[in-house]
Amino acid sequence: MEKSTIPILRLGNYLLTSPQIAIHDKIAVQYKDEILQKIVETKVKGLILDISAIDVVDSFLVRVISEIASSANLMGCPTVVSGMSPAVAITLAEMDLSLRGVFTALDIEKSLKILRGEEMRHT
Amino acid sequence: MSDLKQTLISQFEENFEEIRKQWVITMQNLGHLKALTHDDIERQSKAICTTVINCLKTNSFKDAEAYAESLAKKAVLEAMTVDQIISGFLVLRDLYGRFIKKWYKDDFNQFFEVLDIYEPVARKIVYLVSNTFIQERDMVVKQQQEAILKLSTPLVQLWENVVLLPLIGVLDSVRAKQLIESVLMYIGQSKTEIIIMDIAGIAAIDTKTAHHILLTIQAAKLMGTEIIITGIRPEVATTLVTLGINMTGIETRSTLRDGVEYAFDKLGFKMLEAPKRQESREQSWKNQPSQS
Amino acid sequence: MSDSNIFIVSRELDIIAVREKVREVAKSIGFKIMDLTRIATAVSELVRNAFQYAGGGKVIIKIVQNQYHKGIEVIVEDHGPGITNLDLVLNGGYSTGKGLGLGLSGAKKLMDEFFIETNQNNGTIITTRKWL
Repeated sequence: MEKSTIPILRLGNYLLTSPQIAIHDKIAVQYKDEILQKIVETKVKGLILDISAIDVVDSFLVRVISEIASSANLMGCPTVVSGMSPAVAITLAEMDLSLRGVFTALDIEKSLKILRGEEMRHT
Repeated sequence: MSDLKQTLISQFEENFEEIRKQWVITMQNLGHLKALTHDDIERQSKAICTTVINCLKTNSFKDAEAYAESLAKKAVLEAMTVDQIISGFLVLRDLYGRFIKKWYKDDFNQFFEVLDIYEPVARKIVYLVSNTFIQERDMVVKQQQEAILKLSTPLVQLWENVVLLPLIGVLDSVRAKQLIESVLMYIGQSKTEIIIMDIAGIAAIDTKTAHHILLTIQAAKLMGTEIIITGIRPEVATTLVTLGINMTGIETRSTLRDGVEYAFDKLGFKMLEAPKRQESREQSWKNQPSQS
Repeated sequence: MSDSNIFIVSRELDIIAVREKVREVAKSIGFKIMDLTRIATAVSELVRNAFQYAGGGKVIIKIVQNQYHKGIEVIVEDHGPGITNLDLVLNGGYSTGKGLGLGLSGAKKLMDEFFIETNQNNGTIITTRKWL
Protein backbone atom coordinates (compact mmCIF):
# COMPACT_ATOMS: atom_id res chain seq x y z
CA MET A 1 0.00 0.00 0.00
CA GLU A 2 1.30 3.42 -0.85
CA LYS A 3 2.21 5.79 1.90
CA SER A 4 -0.08 8.61 2.74
CA THR A 5 2.59 11.29 2.16
CA ILE A 6 1.10 13.32 4.98
CA PRO A 7 4.02 14.28 7.20
CA ILE A 8 3.92 13.26 10.85
CA LEU A 9 6.43 15.26 12.85
CA ARG A 10 7.79 14.82 16.31
CA LEU A 11 7.51 17.81 18.59
CA GLY A 12 9.33 16.82 21.78
CA ASN A 13 7.02 14.51 23.64
CA TYR A 14 4.28 14.81 21.08
CA LEU A 15 3.44 14.17 17.46
CA LEU A 16 2.19 16.85 15.12
CA THR A 17 0.49 16.12 11.84
CA SER A 18 -1.14 18.66 9.54
CA PRO A 19 -2.80 17.29 6.39
CA GLN A 20 -2.65 19.76 3.52
CA ILE A 21 -4.60 17.65 1.06
CA ALA A 22 -8.04 16.12 1.05
CA ILE A 23 -8.09 12.76 2.77
CA HIS A 24 -10.04 10.22 0.76
CA ASP A 25 -10.86 6.68 1.76
CA LYS A 26 -7.80 4.59 1.01
CA ILE A 27 -5.41 7.30 2.09
CA ALA A 28 -7.36 7.65 5.34
CA VAL A 29 -6.74 4.04 6.34
CA GLN A 30 -3.06 4.34 5.49
CA TYR A 31 -2.75 7.66 7.33
CA LYS A 32 -4.39 6.29 10.45
CA ASP A 33 -2.05 3.29 10.48
CA GLU A 34 1.01 5.47 10.02
CA ILE A 35 0.03 7.69 12.94
CA LEU A 36 -0.62 4.78 15.26
CA GLN A 37 2.59 3.10 14.16
CA LYS A 38 4.56 6.21 14.94
CA ILE A 39 2.93 6.56 18.36
CA VAL A 40 4.05 3.05 19.20
CA GLU A 41 7.56 3.70 17.90
CA THR A 42 8.13 7.01 19.63
CA LYS A 43 6.05 6.41 22.76
CA VAL A 44 4.87 10.01 22.65
CA LYS A 45 2.43 11.37 25.20
CA GLY A 46 0.19 13.28 22.85
CA LEU A 47 -0.98 13.78 19.28
CA ILE A 48 -1.85 17.07 17.61
CA LEU A 49 -4.02 16.75 14.53
CA ASP A 50 -3.99 20.15 12.88
CA ILE A 51 -6.84 20.50 10.41
CA SER A 52 -6.45 24.19 9.61
CA ALA A 53 -5.84 23.37 5.95
CA ILE A 54 -8.94 21.21 5.61
CA ASP A 55 -11.93 23.07 4.24
CA VAL A 56 -14.51 20.30 4.24
CA VAL A 57 -15.02 17.83 7.05
CA ASP A 58 -17.80 15.33 6.39
CA SER A 59 -19.08 12.46 8.52
CA PHE A 60 -16.47 10.14 7.01
CA LEU A 61 -13.60 12.32 8.14
CA VAL A 62 -15.19 12.75 11.55
CA ARG A 63 -15.21 8.99 11.86
CA VAL A 64 -11.58 8.71 10.80
CA ILE A 65 -10.53 11.33 13.34
CA SER A 66 -12.54 9.62 16.07
CA GLU A 67 -10.94 6.28 15.24
CA ILE A 68 -7.46 7.73 15.35
CA ALA A 69 -8.21 9.37 18.69
CA SER A 70 -9.75 6.26 20.26
CA SER A 71 -6.83 4.05 19.30
CA ALA A 72 -4.31 6.68 20.37
CA ASN A 73 -6.12 7.07 23.71
CA LEU A 74 -5.82 3.35 24.31
CA MET A 75 -2.09 3.77 23.89
CA GLY A 76 -1.97 6.51 26.51
CA CYS A 77 -1.77 9.22 23.90
CA PRO A 78 -4.48 11.91 24.04
CA THR A 79 -5.39 13.65 20.79
CA VAL A 80 -6.02 17.34 20.18
CA VAL A 81 -7.78 18.48 17.03
CA SER A 82 -6.44 21.91 16.26
CA GLY A 83 -7.27 24.80 13.96
CA MET A 84 -10.79 23.91 12.85
CA SER A 85 -12.10 26.69 10.62
CA PRO A 86 -15.29 28.61 11.55
CA ALA A 87 -17.09 27.33 8.45
CA VAL A 88 -16.29 23.70 9.22
CA ALA A 89 -17.26 24.20 12.86
CA ILE A 90 -20.68 25.62 11.98
CA THR A 91 -21.28 22.87 9.44
CA LEU A 92 -20.47 20.10 11.91
CA ALA A 93 -22.59 21.76 14.61
CA GLU A 94 -25.53 22.09 12.22
CA MET A 95 -25.21 18.45 11.21
CA ASP A 96 -25.10 17.63 14.90
CA LEU A 97 -21.89 15.67 14.43
CA SER A 98 -19.73 15.57 17.49
CA LEU A 99 -16.05 14.77 17.76
CA ARG A 100 -15.80 12.27 20.57
CA GLY A 101 -12.71 11.49 22.54
CA VAL A 102 -10.65 14.46 21.45
CA PHE A 103 -9.64 17.79 22.83
CA THR A 104 -10.03 20.77 20.56
CA ALA A 105 -7.78 23.79 20.36
CA LEU A 106 -7.60 26.96 18.36
CA ASP A 107 -4.01 26.51 17.25
CA ILE A 108 -0.91 24.42 17.76
CA GLU A 109 0.39 26.51 20.63
CA LYS A 110 -2.82 26.03 22.58
CA SER A 111 -2.76 22.33 21.68
CA LEU A 112 0.62 22.04 23.36
CA LYS A 113 -0.76 23.77 26.44
CA ILE A 114 -3.52 21.18 26.67
CA LEU A 115 -1.20 18.24 26.17
CA ARG A 116 1.26 19.51 28.76
CA GLY A 117 -1.61 19.88 31.18
CA GLU A 118 -2.72 16.33 30.48
CA GLU A 119 0.78 15.04 30.88
CA MET A 120 1.13 16.71 34.26
CA ARG A 121 -2.14 15.29 35.43
CA HIS A 122 -1.00 11.78 34.69
CA THR A 123 2.42 11.87 36.26
CA MET B 1 -59.63 49.04 -27.71
CA SER B 2 -63.36 49.44 -27.39
CA ASP B 3 -65.09 52.57 -28.63
CA LEU B 4 -66.29 53.39 -25.16
CA LYS B 5 -62.78 53.27 -23.81
CA GLN B 6 -61.54 55.44 -26.64
CA THR B 7 -64.28 57.92 -25.91
CA LEU B 8 -63.44 57.95 -22.22
CA ILE B 9 -59.80 58.62 -22.94
CA SER B 10 -60.67 61.45 -25.30
CA GLN B 11 -62.94 62.96 -22.69
CA PHE B 12 -60.16 62.80 -20.09
CA GLU B 13 -57.79 64.41 -22.54
CA GLU B 14 -60.13 67.16 -23.62
CA ASN B 15 -60.97 68.05 -20.03
CA PHE B 16 -57.38 67.66 -18.89
CA GLU B 17 -56.94 71.22 -17.66
CA GLU B 18 -60.28 71.38 -15.88
CA ILE B 19 -59.60 68.12 -14.07
CA ARG B 20 -56.08 69.13 -13.22
CA LYS B 21 -57.14 72.48 -11.76
CA GLN B 22 -59.86 70.81 -9.74
CA TRP B 23 -57.29 68.39 -8.37
CA VAL B 24 -55.00 71.20 -7.33
CA ILE B 25 -57.83 73.03 -5.54
CA THR B 26 -58.95 69.90 -3.69
CA MET B 27 -55.39 69.08 -2.64
CA GLN B 28 -54.80 72.66 -1.49
CA ASN B 29 -57.97 72.54 0.58
CA LEU B 30 -56.66 69.38 2.19
CA GLY B 31 -53.40 71.21 2.92
CA HIS B 32 -51.30 68.68 1.04
CA LEU B 33 -49.50 71.09 -1.25
CA LYS B 34 -48.24 73.55 1.35
CA ALA B 35 -44.56 72.80 0.90
CA LEU B 36 -44.62 72.95 -2.88
CA THR B 37 -43.77 75.90 -5.10
CA HIS B 38 -46.15 76.99 -7.80
CA ASP B 39 -43.98 75.35 -10.45
CA ASP B 40 -43.82 72.15 -8.48
CA ILE B 41 -47.59 72.07 -8.27
CA GLU B 42 -47.91 72.56 -12.03
CA ARG B 43 -45.42 69.78 -12.65
CA GLN B 44 -46.82 67.24 -10.21
CA SER B 45 -50.43 67.78 -11.16
CA LYS B 46 -49.60 67.42 -14.85
CA ALA B 47 -47.54 64.31 -14.20
CA ILE B 48 -50.17 62.63 -12.09
CA CYS B 49 -53.00 63.28 -14.52
CA THR B 50 -50.94 62.16 -17.51
CA THR B 51 -49.99 58.95 -15.75
CA VAL B 52 -53.57 57.81 -15.37
CA ILE B 53 -54.44 58.61 -18.97
CA ASN B 54 -51.36 56.81 -20.24
CA CYS B 55 -52.23 53.72 -18.27
CA LEU B 56 -55.66 53.70 -19.80
CA LYS B 57 -54.26 54.25 -23.28
CA THR B 58 -51.48 51.74 -23.28
CA ASN B 59 -53.11 49.16 -21.03
CA SER B 60 -49.80 48.89 -19.27
CA PHE B 61 -48.99 50.17 -15.82
CA LYS B 62 -45.30 50.66 -16.40
CA ASP B 63 -45.85 54.41 -16.44
CA ALA B 64 -47.50 54.35 -13.05
CA GLU B 65 -44.79 52.11 -11.63
CA ALA B 66 -42.00 54.25 -12.98
CA TYR B 67 -43.64 57.42 -11.73
CA ALA B 68 -44.23 55.92 -8.30
CA GLU B 69 -40.64 54.69 -8.13
CA SER B 70 -39.24 58.08 -9.00
CA LEU B 71 -41.50 59.64 -6.37
CA ALA B 72 -40.55 57.06 -3.77
CA LYS B 73 -36.90 57.70 -4.25
CA LYS B 74 -37.22 61.44 -4.30
CA ALA B 75 -40.11 61.78 -1.87
CA VAL B 76 -37.99 63.81 0.50
CA LEU B 77 -36.93 66.25 -2.19
CA GLU B 78 -40.37 66.57 -3.67
CA ALA B 79 -41.56 67.96 -0.33
CA MET B 80 -44.59 65.74 -0.15
CA THR B 81 -45.00 63.01 2.40
CA VAL B 82 -45.99 59.51 1.44
CA ASP B 83 -49.51 59.87 2.73
CA GLN B 84 -49.89 63.13 0.82
CA ILE B 85 -48.83 61.46 -2.40
CA ILE B 86 -51.16 58.53 -1.93
CA SER B 87 -53.89 60.94 -0.99
CA GLY B 88 -53.16 62.75 -4.23
CA PHE B 89 -53.84 59.63 -6.26
CA LEU B 90 -57.01 58.91 -4.30
CA VAL B 91 -58.27 62.45 -4.82
CA LEU B 92 -57.60 62.13 -8.52
CA ARG B 93 -59.39 58.80 -8.63
CA ASP B 94 -62.45 60.35 -7.00
CA LEU B 95 -62.28 63.33 -9.29
CA TYR B 96 -62.25 61.23 -12.44
CA GLY B 97 -65.12 59.24 -10.96
CA ARG B 98 -67.17 62.42 -10.50
CA PHE B 99 -66.51 63.54 -14.03
CA ILE B 100 -67.61 60.16 -15.33
CA LYS B 101 -70.84 60.46 -13.33
CA LYS B 102 -71.41 63.90 -14.79
CA TRP B 103 -70.83 62.82 -18.39
CA TYR B 104 -72.83 59.60 -18.24
CA LYS B 105 -75.61 60.52 -15.83
CA ASP B 106 -78.27 60.15 -18.47
CA ASP B 107 -77.39 56.60 -19.52
CA PHE B 108 -77.12 54.12 -16.69
CA ASN B 109 -75.99 51.24 -18.87
CA GLN B 110 -73.15 53.16 -20.40
CA PHE B 111 -72.31 54.57 -16.98
CA PHE B 112 -71.69 51.17 -15.52
CA GLU B 113 -69.81 50.04 -18.63
CA VAL B 114 -67.51 53.01 -18.33
CA LEU B 115 -66.97 52.32 -14.65
CA ASP B 116 -66.03 48.77 -15.58
CA ILE B 117 -63.32 50.18 -17.78
CA TYR B 118 -62.15 52.91 -15.44
CA GLU B 119 -62.33 51.45 -11.95
CA PRO B 120 -59.89 48.54 -12.30
CA VAL B 121 -57.31 50.87 -13.81
CA ALA B 122 -57.70 53.45 -11.06
CA ARG B 123 -57.55 50.79 -8.39
CA LYS B 124 -54.45 49.24 -9.80
CA ILE B 125 -52.67 52.56 -10.01
CA VAL B 126 -53.33 53.37 -6.37
CA TYR B 127 -52.27 49.87 -5.40
CA LEU B 128 -49.04 50.09 -7.39
CA VAL B 129 -48.13 53.47 -6.00
CA SER B 130 -48.75 52.39 -2.42
CA ASN B 131 -46.86 49.18 -2.96
CA THR B 132 -43.88 50.96 -4.42
CA PHE B 133 -43.63 53.17 -1.38
CA ILE B 134 -43.89 50.20 0.93
CA GLN B 135 -41.14 48.36 -0.89
CA GLU B 136 -38.90 51.38 -0.92
CA ARG B 137 -39.41 51.81 2.80
CA ASP B 138 -38.81 48.11 3.44
CA MET B 139 -35.50 48.40 1.67
CA VAL B 140 -34.44 51.36 3.80
CA VAL B 141 -35.46 49.51 6.93
CA LYS B 142 -33.50 46.47 5.82
CA GLN B 143 -30.40 48.57 5.22
CA GLN B 144 -30.76 50.17 8.62
CA GLN B 145 -31.22 46.79 10.24
CA GLU B 146 -28.04 45.54 8.66
CA ALA B 147 -26.20 48.56 9.93
CA ILE B 148 -27.56 48.00 13.42
CA LEU B 149 -26.63 44.35 13.30
CA LYS B 150 -23.09 45.28 12.47
CA LEU B 151 -22.98 47.54 15.49
CA SER B 152 -24.74 45.15 17.79
CA THR B 153 -22.32 42.27 17.98
CA PRO B 154 -19.84 44.04 20.20
CA LEU B 155 -17.03 41.83 21.33
CA VAL B 156 -15.16 43.39 24.21
CA GLN B 157 -11.81 42.00 25.20
CA LEU B 158 -11.61 41.86 28.99
CA TRP B 159 -8.21 40.22 29.22
CA GLU B 160 -5.91 37.99 27.30
CA ASN B 161 -8.12 35.21 25.96
CA VAL B 162 -11.28 36.46 27.65
CA VAL B 163 -13.86 38.31 25.61
CA LEU B 164 -17.22 39.66 26.65
CA LEU B 165 -20.20 39.48 24.30
CA PRO B 166 -23.06 41.51 25.78
CA LEU B 167 -26.32 40.92 23.97
CA ILE B 168 -29.05 43.48 24.27
CA GLY B 169 -32.59 43.83 23.11
CA VAL B 170 -34.61 41.40 21.10
CA LEU B 171 -32.68 38.42 19.86
CA ASP B 172 -34.73 37.23 16.92
CA SER B 173 -33.59 34.38 14.78
CA VAL B 174 -32.29 36.64 12.00
CA ARG B 175 -30.02 38.41 14.42
CA ALA B 176 -29.07 35.13 16.07
CA LYS B 177 -28.00 33.67 12.76
CA GLN B 178 -25.79 36.68 12.08
CA LEU B 179 -24.42 36.25 15.56
CA ILE B 180 -23.17 32.73 14.96
CA GLU B 181 -21.16 33.70 11.95
CA SER B 182 -19.64 36.88 13.38
CA VAL B 183 -18.72 35.26 16.68
CA LEU B 184 -17.10 32.26 15.05
CA MET B 185 -15.20 34.39 12.54
CA TYR B 186 -13.98 36.49 15.46
CA ILE B 187 -12.82 33.39 17.29
CA GLY B 188 -10.98 32.22 14.19
CA GLN B 189 -9.14 35.52 13.88
CA SER B 190 -8.47 36.37 17.52
CA LYS B 191 -7.95 32.87 18.93
CA THR B 192 -9.85 33.80 22.08
CA GLU B 193 -10.20 30.86 24.46
CA ILE B 194 -13.20 31.99 26.47
CA ILE B 195 -16.21 34.09 25.51
CA ILE B 196 -18.62 35.32 28.12
CA MET B 197 -22.02 35.73 26.51
CA ASP B 198 -23.99 37.98 28.79
CA ILE B 199 -27.72 37.96 28.12
CA ALA B 200 -28.91 40.10 31.01
CA GLY B 201 -30.12 42.60 28.44
CA ILE B 202 -32.25 40.07 26.56
CA ALA B 203 -35.89 40.16 27.58
CA ALA B 204 -37.13 37.04 25.84
CA ILE B 205 -36.07 34.33 23.46
CA ASP B 206 -37.86 31.73 21.37
CA THR B 207 -36.94 28.18 20.40
CA LYS B 208 -35.20 29.10 17.19
CA THR B 209 -33.04 31.67 18.92
CA ALA B 210 -32.14 29.32 21.76
CA HIS B 211 -31.26 26.75 19.12
CA HIS B 212 -28.96 29.23 17.36
CA ILE B 213 -27.23 30.12 20.61
CA LEU B 214 -26.63 26.46 21.36
CA LEU B 215 -25.25 25.94 17.86
CA THR B 216 -22.85 28.82 18.41
CA ILE B 217 -21.63 27.27 21.64
CA GLN B 218 -21.28 23.86 20.03
CA ALA B 219 -19.37 25.18 17.05
CA ALA B 220 -17.11 27.28 19.26
CA LYS B 221 -16.31 24.22 21.32
CA LEU B 222 -15.29 22.34 18.17
CA MET B 223 -12.89 25.14 17.40
CA GLY B 224 -11.45 25.10 20.89
CA THR B 225 -13.25 27.99 22.56
CA GLU B 226 -15.59 27.82 25.52
CA ILE B 227 -18.62 30.07 25.53
CA ILE B 228 -20.25 30.55 28.90
CA ILE B 229 -23.57 32.25 29.46
CA THR B 230 -24.16 34.82 32.16
CA GLY B 231 -27.08 36.98 33.14
CA ILE B 232 -29.94 34.59 32.46
CA ARG B 233 -33.06 36.39 33.65
CA PRO B 234 -35.87 34.45 35.35
CA GLU B 235 -38.15 34.85 32.31
CA VAL B 236 -35.49 33.52 30.00
CA ALA B 237 -34.64 30.69 32.39
CA THR B 238 -38.29 29.66 32.49
CA THR B 239 -38.51 29.72 28.71
CA LEU B 240 -35.42 27.54 28.39
CA VAL B 241 -36.80 25.00 30.84
CA THR B 242 -40.28 25.01 29.31
CA LEU B 243 -38.90 24.53 25.81
CA GLY B 244 -36.83 21.64 27.11
CA ILE B 245 -33.62 23.12 25.82
CA ASN B 246 -30.70 20.89 26.67
CA MET B 247 -28.08 22.94 28.45
CA THR B 248 -25.80 20.10 29.55
CA GLY B 249 -22.13 20.85 29.18
CA ILE B 250 -22.74 24.59 29.06
CA GLU B 251 -21.42 26.67 31.92
CA THR B 252 -23.76 29.34 33.11
CA ARG B 253 -23.44 31.94 35.83
CA SER B 254 -26.03 34.36 37.04
CA THR B 255 -23.80 37.43 37.05
CA LEU B 256 -21.11 38.71 34.77
CA ARG B 257 -18.80 38.92 37.76
CA ASP B 258 -19.13 35.21 38.40
CA GLY B 259 -18.55 34.55 34.74
CA VAL B 260 -15.32 36.50 34.82
CA GLU B 261 -14.23 34.63 37.92
CA TYR B 262 -14.87 31.32 36.17
CA ALA B 263 -12.94 32.43 33.10
CA PHE B 264 -9.91 33.64 35.05
CA ASP B 265 -9.93 30.49 37.10
CA LYS B 266 -10.00 28.28 34.02
CA LEU B 267 -7.15 30.20 32.44
CA GLY B 268 -5.08 29.83 35.58
CA PHE B 269 -5.22 33.47 36.63
CA LYS B 270 -5.56 34.50 40.20
CA MET B 271 -6.62 37.86 41.56
CA LEU B 272 -4.48 39.09 44.41
CA GLU B 273 -5.02 42.08 46.59
CA ALA B 274 -2.28 44.65 46.25
CA PRO B 275 -0.34 45.40 49.50
CA LYS B 276 -2.06 48.13 51.54
CA ARG B 277 -0.74 51.68 51.16
CA GLN B 278 -0.34 52.04 54.96
CA GLU B 279 2.15 49.20 55.04
CA SER B 280 4.22 50.51 52.19
CA ARG B 281 4.51 53.92 53.83
CA GLU B 282 5.72 52.22 57.00
CA GLN B 283 8.18 50.28 54.93
CA SER B 284 9.71 53.34 53.29
CA TRP B 285 9.91 55.13 56.67
CA LYS B 286 11.83 52.20 58.03
CA ASN B 287 14.29 52.45 55.20
CA GLN B 288 15.07 56.10 55.82
CA PRO B 289 18.37 56.75 57.56
CA SER B 290 17.53 57.50 61.18
CA GLN B 291 17.76 61.10 62.21
CA SER B 292 19.78 61.94 65.18
CA MET C 1 -28.34 27.02 -20.68
CA SER C 2 -24.88 25.66 -20.25
CA ASP C 3 -25.28 25.85 -16.49
CA SER C 4 -25.27 22.09 -16.07
CA ASN C 5 -22.28 20.05 -15.03
CA ILE C 6 -22.57 16.29 -15.15
CA PHE C 7 -20.21 13.92 -13.38
CA ILE C 8 -19.99 10.18 -13.26
CA VAL C 9 -18.77 9.00 -9.89
CA SER C 10 -17.05 5.66 -9.89
CA ARG C 11 -13.93 6.03 -7.76
CA GLU C 12 -13.61 7.62 -4.35
CA LEU C 13 -11.28 10.25 -5.75
CA ASP C 14 -14.28 11.47 -7.71
CA ILE C 15 -15.99 12.52 -4.49
CA ILE C 16 -13.38 15.19 -3.98
CA ALA C 17 -13.50 16.34 -7.59
CA VAL C 18 -17.29 16.71 -7.50
CA ARG C 19 -17.10 18.54 -4.20
CA GLU C 20 -14.62 21.01 -5.61
CA LYS C 21 -16.71 21.59 -8.71
CA VAL C 22 -19.84 22.24 -6.67
CA ARG C 23 -17.95 24.70 -4.55
CA GLU C 24 -16.65 26.44 -7.65
CA VAL C 25 -20.10 26.76 -9.19
CA ALA C 26 -21.65 27.92 -5.93
CA LYS C 27 -18.94 30.51 -5.47
CA SER C 28 -19.47 31.79 -9.00
CA ILE C 29 -23.06 32.75 -8.25
CA GLY C 30 -22.18 34.50 -5.03
CA PHE C 31 -22.29 32.07 -2.14
CA LYS C 32 -19.94 32.98 0.68
CA ILE C 33 -17.56 30.81 2.73
CA MET C 34 -20.07 29.51 5.29
CA ASP C 35 -22.60 28.40 2.70
CA LEU C 36 -19.88 27.13 0.38
CA THR C 37 -18.72 24.80 3.12
CA ARG C 38 -22.26 23.69 3.90
CA ILE C 39 -22.97 22.88 0.27
CA ALA C 40 -19.66 21.11 -0.34
CA THR C 41 -20.12 19.05 2.82
CA ALA C 42 -23.69 18.06 1.98
CA VAL C 43 -22.68 17.00 -1.52
CA SER C 44 -19.73 15.08 -0.13
CA GLU C 45 -22.12 13.10 2.07
CA LEU C 46 -24.52 12.33 -0.74
CA VAL C 47 -21.89 11.33 -3.26
CA ARG C 48 -20.09 9.17 -0.76
CA ASN C 49 -23.34 7.33 -0.02
CA ALA C 50 -23.90 6.70 -3.70
CA PHE C 51 -20.40 5.36 -4.00
CA GLN C 52 -20.53 3.22 -0.88
CA TYR C 53 -23.99 1.71 -1.28
CA ALA C 54 -24.36 1.63 -5.02
CA GLY C 55 -20.83 1.53 -6.34
CA GLY C 56 -21.16 4.92 -7.92
CA GLY C 57 -23.63 7.14 -9.69
CA LYS C 58 -24.31 10.31 -11.58
CA VAL C 59 -24.12 13.86 -10.23
CA ILE C 60 -25.72 16.82 -11.98
CA ILE C 61 -24.85 20.33 -10.83
CA LYS C 62 -27.05 23.16 -12.01
CA ILE C 63 -27.52 26.86 -11.40
CA VAL C 64 -31.20 27.56 -10.84
CA GLN C 65 -33.41 30.60 -10.39
CA ASN C 66 -36.61 31.08 -8.45
CA GLN C 67 -38.84 34.10 -8.07
CA TYR C 68 -36.39 35.94 -5.87
CA HIS C 69 -32.92 34.42 -5.97
CA LYS C 70 -30.37 32.37 -7.76
CA GLY C 71 -29.46 29.02 -6.32
CA ILE C 72 -27.55 25.82 -6.84
CA GLU C 73 -29.12 22.46 -7.49
CA VAL C 74 -27.35 19.13 -7.15
CA ILE C 75 -28.89 15.84 -8.20
CA VAL C 76 -27.25 12.60 -7.10
CA GLU C 77 -28.54 9.54 -8.89
CA ASP C 78 -27.57 5.92 -8.33
CA HIS C 79 -28.81 2.46 -9.33
CA GLY C 80 -28.20 0.83 -6.01
CA PRO C 81 -30.45 -1.14 -3.70
CA GLY C 82 -32.50 1.85 -2.61
CA ILE C 83 -32.89 3.14 0.94
CA THR C 84 -35.18 1.22 3.21
CA ASN C 85 -36.73 2.88 6.24
CA LEU C 86 -36.29 6.27 4.66
CA ASP C 87 -38.15 8.03 7.48
CA LEU C 88 -35.95 6.60 10.18
CA VAL C 89 -32.80 7.33 8.26
CA LEU C 90 -33.75 10.94 7.54
CA ASN C 91 -34.82 11.70 11.06
CA GLY C 92 -31.64 10.47 12.63
CA GLY C 93 -33.02 7.12 13.68
CA TYR C 94 -29.62 5.66 12.97
CA SER C 95 -27.68 8.16 14.93
CA THR C 96 -24.37 6.50 15.56
CA GLY C 97 -22.09 4.51 13.37
CA LYS C 98 -24.37 3.94 10.42
CA GLY C 99 -22.88 6.07 7.69
CA LEU C 100 -26.03 6.32 5.65
CA GLY C 101 -28.11 7.84 8.41
CA LEU C 102 -25.52 10.36 9.47
CA GLY C 103 -24.72 11.48 5.98
CA LEU C 104 -28.25 11.82 4.73
CA SER C 105 -29.81 13.56 7.72
CA GLY C 106 -26.76 15.78 8.01
CA ALA C 107 -26.92 16.83 4.37
CA LYS C 108 -30.63 17.59 4.74
CA LYS C 109 -29.95 20.00 7.59
CA LEU C 110 -27.40 21.91 5.55
CA MET C 111 -29.49 22.52 2.45
CA ASP C 112 -32.69 24.50 1.82
CA GLU C 113 -34.53 21.89 -0.24
CA PHE C 114 -34.07 18.15 -0.14
CA PHE C 115 -36.03 15.49 -2.03
CA ILE C 116 -35.47 11.74 -2.21
CA GLU C 117 -36.96 9.21 -4.58
CA THR C 118 -35.89 5.69 -3.77
CA ASN C 119 -36.90 2.13 -4.44
CA GLN C 120 -35.32 -1.32 -4.65
CA ASN C 121 -35.56 -1.60 -8.41
CA ASN C 122 -34.43 1.74 -9.70
CA GLY C 123 -32.11 3.00 -7.04
CA THR C 124 -32.09 6.46 -5.53
CA ILE C 125 -32.35 10.00 -6.83
CA ILE C 126 -31.63 12.81 -4.42
CA THR C 127 -32.35 16.39 -5.44
CA THR C 128 -31.11 19.16 -3.22
CA ARG C 129 -30.96 22.94 -3.54
CA LYS C 130 -29.61 25.94 -1.71
CA TRP C 131 -30.69 29.50 -2.42
CA LEU C 132 -28.73 32.70 -2.11
